[in-house]
Amino acid sequence: MAITFKEVFYIYNRKTPLETEALNGISFSIEKGSFTALVGRTGCGKSTLVQHINALLNPSAGEVDIDGWINSAEKKKRSKHVKDLRKHVGLVFQFPEYQLFEETVEKDVAFAPKNFGMNEEDALKAAHAALRSVGLNESFDKRSPFELSGGEKRKVAIAGILAFHPDILVVDEPTAGLDPLGAKAMMALFAQIHQSGTTVVLVTHDMNIVLAYCDKVVVLDDGKIAAITDPVSLFSQDIEKYSLETPLLYKMVKDLEGQGAHFDLQAIKDIPSLADQLVALKGAKR
Amino acid sequence: MNSFSIGRYVPYNSFVHRLDPRDKILGSILLMVCVFLPISGWAMTFTMSGILFILTMILLWCTHSSIRDILSSLRSMWMMILFLLLIYILMPHSNPTLGQAWNWNGWIVYWDSFAEAGKIVLRLLMMVELTMILTASTKPLDLTYAFEWYLTPLKWLHFPAHEVAMTISIALRFIPTLLDDTNRVMKAQESRGVDFAHGRLWKRLTALTSLIIPLFVSAFMRSEELANAMECRGYDPKAKRTRYRLLHWRWFDWISLVVVLAIFALFLYVTIAHFDAYLFFWGLQVV
Repeated sequence: MAITFKEVFYIYNRKTPLETEALNGISFSIEKGSFTALVGRTGCGKSTLVQHINALLNPSAGEVDIDGWINSAEKKKRSKHVKDLRKHVGLVFQFPEYQLFEETVEKDVAFAPKNFGMNEEDALKAAHAALRSVGLNESFDKRSPFELSGGEKRKVAIAGILAFHPDILVVDEPTAGLDPLGAKAMMALFAQIHQSGTTVVLVTHDMNIVLAYCDKVVVLDDGKIAAITDPVSLFSQDIEKYSLETPLLYKMVKDLEGQGAHFDLQAIKDIPSLADQLVALKGAKR
Repeated sequence: MNSFSIGRYVPYNSFVHRLDPRDKILGSILLMVCVFLPISGWAMTFTMSGILFILTMILLWCTHSSIRDILSSLRSMWMMILFLLLIYILMPHSNPTLGQAWNWNGWIVYWDSFAEAGKIVLRLLMMVELTMILTASTKPLDLTYAFEWYLTPLKWLHFPAHEVAMTISIALRFIPTLLDDTNRVMKAQESRGVDFAHGRLWKRLTALTSLIIPLFVSAFMRSEELANAMECRGYDPKAKRTRYRLLHWRWFDWISLVVVLAIFALFLYVTIAHFDAYLFFWGLQVV
């Protein structure tokens, strides 16, 4: 298990009239090498939960174990050297483009590797590799991050996390506000990173993405875990009560099944895989 | 972000919260003047400061804040305060009345210096308490309305009272937003391995730039967006406008104002007339 939550509670503005309970006894674990989606309506505690994985927040009660690094409510039990954890877990915030500050794109991407102890030269090398992997070519290296477009800024910011090769990658709504092609490329990149052995945790509202990429879904509702399943079994339930929407593809498959067709639901991830199944179905009929 | 508890509105429904903001502004200014009035004689100084301190503590208690909040928000200033006190104590005193504390080879420290230091601490505490009472019990917008109300006479002199009040209310409105931004950028940079609290000076300076530059960028962006949004809604500072929230001056506003004025008058009298209650009532000759 890469990440294990044990009875985690988190309360904002403790002991004031603004006190709100964001996490309400969360217990679950995320396996090493998995691609987990974290879904639920706005304000259900996803972002709060995610920040516990990086020890940006410490639980009000309970404990989180991240590959042996303990983030506990009690100071005594909590592991020291928070930098080790942050090097291990890369956290990409929502709208990460607001964290850019350096003069050039390459310097900004090299910022995190340098903070984690790489020398200047290696950090720049890592930065260049990360920039290429998000699809920004050499011409971007020396430009100012502030003159880029929104989508490009987002890519630079994500490259800034990828550059230090975290073992666990946590991304909070990476595709929000991107154009469809850009979003697709972004998700393909995360899929590729996952292929290379990284544990990926993805916070999203887009169920099409969940269906296409994730092998496990954690549904949060009002600070509690509502369900932990795989995408297909999740979509076979009524998920509107969690303010989620069944992916279009899955709706179509359901309609076809109503007409008497039979599919291998676990194999359908996107349009090409559905097409394959349809072709196979047609072949079987002949 | 606990150190920002000063200046934040705390939503309770206390007697102080319900007072008219105009009353509260005037009242706190009068009490602040009381804090700084120079009263002659140590005994009288500390008696009057003590009365004022108890009064501010009661008001503070009314707004559901506690002295612990104040002390914890002053935490970052403790070193400075201690340093200031040390200087006060070690500096020579002009006309001592309390006698020597010690004498090291001609370098004399008088007890007056200690009294002086105590007075400074008390004054600082009371100032912070008073500002906290005002800001914790009054919504920032109400504060600006009250402020604009006080500026209305200046409109006759073509002073842009509304524009100034609008600017202030926008500035106040964006304090929490900017704090949230700070919090967010800090977290983002922390997950990129920045340590804001420890490390060498140079490291901490780069850490700070990684916070300040994104903050400036987002602040400028927000101001532009806000300007556009106001433009779109046809905002005209010169236009005559009505108001959704009106300020109501009620009977308990009068009462509290009269009480504060009475206290102010008492302090003024004690200061100007060099009134000594000890001498007057009990014939005591205290220092």
